[in-house]
Amino acid sequence: MIRAPDSLQYGKLDELNKGITASALKVERVEERLFTREEGQNASQSEVAKGLPKKVVEALSRGPAERNPAQLGEVEKHYREGMAAYSALLKKLREQVAEREKLEKSFVRVMVMQDKPGSRKSFILDKGLYNQKREEVSAEVPQSLPALPEKAPRNRLSLARWLVDPSHPLTARVTVNREWQKFFGTGLVKTVEDFGAQGEKPTHPELLDWLASEFIRGGWDLKALHRLIVTSATYRQSARWTAELARKDPANRLLGRGPRWRMPSWMIRDHALAASGLLVNRLGGPSVKPYQPKGVWAEATFGKMRYSQDKGEKLYRRSLYTFWRRIIGPTIFFDTAKRQTCEVRKILTNTPLHALATLNDVTYVEASRALAQRVLEKAGPEPADRATMAFRLVTCRRPDADELKILLGRLAILKEQYSADPGAAAKLLSVGDSPRNTKLDAIEHAAFAGLCSLILNLDEALTK
Amino acid sequence: MNMDPVTQHSAQLTRRHFFGRSSTGIGAAALASLLGGGATAAPGASGLPHFAPRAKRVIYLFMNGAPTHVDLFDYKPKLKELHGKPVPQEYVGGKRFSTMTGNPKGKLMLSPVEPFHRRGQSGAWVSDLMPHTAGIADDLCFIKSMFTEQVNHSPAVTFFLTGSEMAGRPSMGSWLTYGLGSETDNLPAFTVMTSVSKGTSCGQIFYDYYWSSGFLPSRLQGVKFRSGGDPVLYLSSPDGVSRPVRRGILDDLAKLNELRFRDVSDPAISTRISQYELAYKMQASVPELSDISQEPQHVLDLYGPQVKERGTFAHNCLMARRLIERGSRFVQLMHAGWDQHNSITTELYNQCRDTDQPSAGLVMDLKQRGLLEDTLVIWGGEFGRTPFIQGNIKNRRRWGRDHHPYAFTTWMAGGGVKPGITWGASDDLAINSVTDKVHVHDFQATILHLLGIDHERLDFKFQGRRYRLTDVHGKVVKGIIA
Repeated sequence: MIRAPDSLQYGKLDELNKGITASALKVERVEERLFTREEGQNASQSEVAKGLPKKVVEALSRGPAERNPAQLGEVEKHYREGMAAYSALLKKLREQVAEREKLEKSFVRVMVMQDKPGSRKSFILDKGLYNQKREEVSAEVPQSLPALPEKAPRNRLSLARWLVDPSHPLTARVTVNREWQKFFGTGLVKTVEDFGAQGEKPTHPELLDWLASEFIRGGWDLKALHRLIVTSATYRQSARWTAELARKDPANRLLGRGPRWRMPSWMIRDHALAASGLLVNRLGGPSVKPYQPKGVWAEATFGKMRYSQDKGEKLYRRSLYTFWRRIIGPTIFFDTAKRQTCEVRKILTNTPLHALATLNDVTYVEASRALAQRVLEKAGPEPADRATMAFRLVTCRRPDADELKILLGRLAILKEQYSADPGAAAKLLSVGDSPRNTKLDAIEHAAFAGLCSLILNLDEALTK
Repeated sequence: MNMDPVTQHSAQLTRRHFFGRSSTGIGAAALASLLGGGATAAPGASGLPHFAPRAKRVIYLFMNGAPTHVDLFDYKPKLKELHGKPVPQEYVGGKRFSTMTGNPKGKLMLSPVEPFHRRGQSGAWVSDLMPHTAGIADDLCFIKSMFTEQVNHSPAVTFFLTGSEMAGRPSMGSWLTYGLGSETDNLPAFTVMTSVSKGTSCGQIFYDYYWSSGFLPSRLQGVKFRSGGDPVLYLSSPDGVSRPVRRGILDDLAKLNELRFRDVSDPAISTRISQYELAYKMQASVPELSDISQEPQHVLDLYGPQVKERGTFAHNCLMARRLIERGSRFVQLMHAGWDQHNSITTELYNQCRDTDQPSAGLVMDLKQRGLLEDTLVIWGGEFGRTPFIQGNIKNRRRWGRDHHPYAFTTWMAGGGVKPGITWGASDDLAINSVTDKVHVHDFQATILHLLGIDHERLDFKFQGRRYRLTDVHGKVVKGIIA
């Protein structure tokens, strides 16, 4: 079990540690004068320490920064009367250390694995039956790959070192191939999960190999790899289909055009949150439970499990923090892993159910409303500027004249529709937990929310 | 930037070519969407069906938890004789039972709790626990020689529905929609509904891998209709978005997407346009499907008193008929609570009360509409229950039966299956399937056969090998086919 701070907690911890180091240094300076001793001895070994209460001596046997609050308290108490200034320094340090302990206790606890002492006997199991043991086996790596150092213990640490040894060709290739998939939709080896005999061969073996060696050479720096990929001529090509390319290479395996594919559902959600300004871009911390229709867990478990939705900023954190239950995944995501085995290949399908999610789920309706609010507050009074800003926030480009005309035409109609039905405007603006700016005109805001829902559902908004 | 008309035209031609020929491209996957496109409904795999189908669609009434064949359909007078006596060792020696039973040696036989009678012209034995099913015995084909390899619920259910006890393979409904495509343009081709009797103490969780598409494209996974809220997740437009508002937004969404398509010619954009159109249609078609107010009373009566209550098996049975009528391919109803380890004399009665009339009503309703001819209805669980007791024979209120994979009963109706017959038999204590044994893979092969599919030829290559619903096994049970 380890404790894993999130980025806020990490910042606090850093601050506290700095304070503790400074306070401990002050205590140390006093103690050096107070408890004179030989070089290399600790304060408890000083002549001055002789005859002090046992607990005080015990505390003094450690450096000030290594003492726990109770130990610091013992020394502090002992000198409170006689040496108030020293005692006050100890008190400050004690409070800081106690605060750090408290903070650390609030960190999420994460399970980690550890080797047990000695090795467990392992056997080939006949047809996989747990009680049908055949010959005993021991840990070794595949013979087609570099060997483990002869003297290395056959444990997880050796395996980890072996995996990232610069002479190991596979790890880096598998990694860069997955990153390639992230940008191009398909790996250079399409079977990203399988580089073995049943995997597909790479379309561009030299490129894969080069990327892998660059990756190793650059110290396994993923950001550098991403830069290498996104600044390449291949990545920056137009995604436009031509008749010729469509005929010769419909799946674009030969990379004759730039990548264009529907984003995975978690990315679509993150994108909507980011464009609308709702995203809470904080690192780390426990999983969160964003919006989910009522009763989904209960129905799957006969009421044994109930989903209790989080509140506040937890609703707007990146999708990767979303809590997953194995029997039923988060309903807002589609084309998700089946949660039976590890899956690394992207699955992209299209069904009307996806459209229903991005049109109707609270997350997206609220994002439309927030995006509308964002442009109403920031883009000046002109409808064209407002629509343009919303469009740009989502697609990263300006709408052309034809597009803008359609957007403004729709906006005018939406305004009419909501003017005729202010109740509907109020209802639309109350979807989602985030507060709305009530200074904005409700009809205007609702009409823009409708327009933003349109923009967030554009093919271009859902597509990389 | 727009293409010149000639380039545009040839790009379009290529798009069609691509849709038609590629089985892996994103366009093809998208086009063959969950909901097909009207007259041209979503196509299945090429060359299917392999031969003239007897059934076009399936309603699978999955009885989750394993109904007791001994008390419901598999009548063995000898059980009454041996009631309270130890199970004869020669029937169970060397067999594996659940860890609750462990070694069956010395377990006492338990007589069926209610009397059996011969029913209809066919004279099939059905317990008094199932009066409505008894009433349609002449429409049913009982398979009394079923056996499976799994002794625990989840692996056994998974084995029945996906052909493998390990979760992760495509389920039967996914295979069928993959093979045969869809015949509806505004409803899911493969739908799942679940229910459980009120107050049951033995319901098992419904894992969503029971209707998973496994390694098949995920658009083929079963769509779960929910018992509360929107039947389909996210079906309702948000508060404050009226139908005209939505319509207008979608119209302009399509226009903008078309502009984009003109620019980049990506066929996925066309697919996206139709996907949104279908979503809009579905927002009308699902509520229409769920609205049973136009059903006449005499039809509602067929399904029993719970039919109007969402989330009940009766309601789901009626919904299954309505889905089938509207072109759905595979409807999987799962009803939990059949796991009577200590409630044969109590909760079993509730289970039968809640499922007997709706199941029979569904068959009758399909029959009176002429739908039974090409709709296959299947009733059954994942295994049977031990003919010997679990619990103390002196404490009748707590009598139970444990899991039993070696013999159990299922029934089929319609869809090209011989009506009014009983296929196969278990031994005289209903312990082992002995005559015309039907393995789970045989059962699956037969279902596919009835739908015009050679189970050995409906396959999908994944991780270097071709997979089938029936793995490398399965023999069609020809004897039950009309």
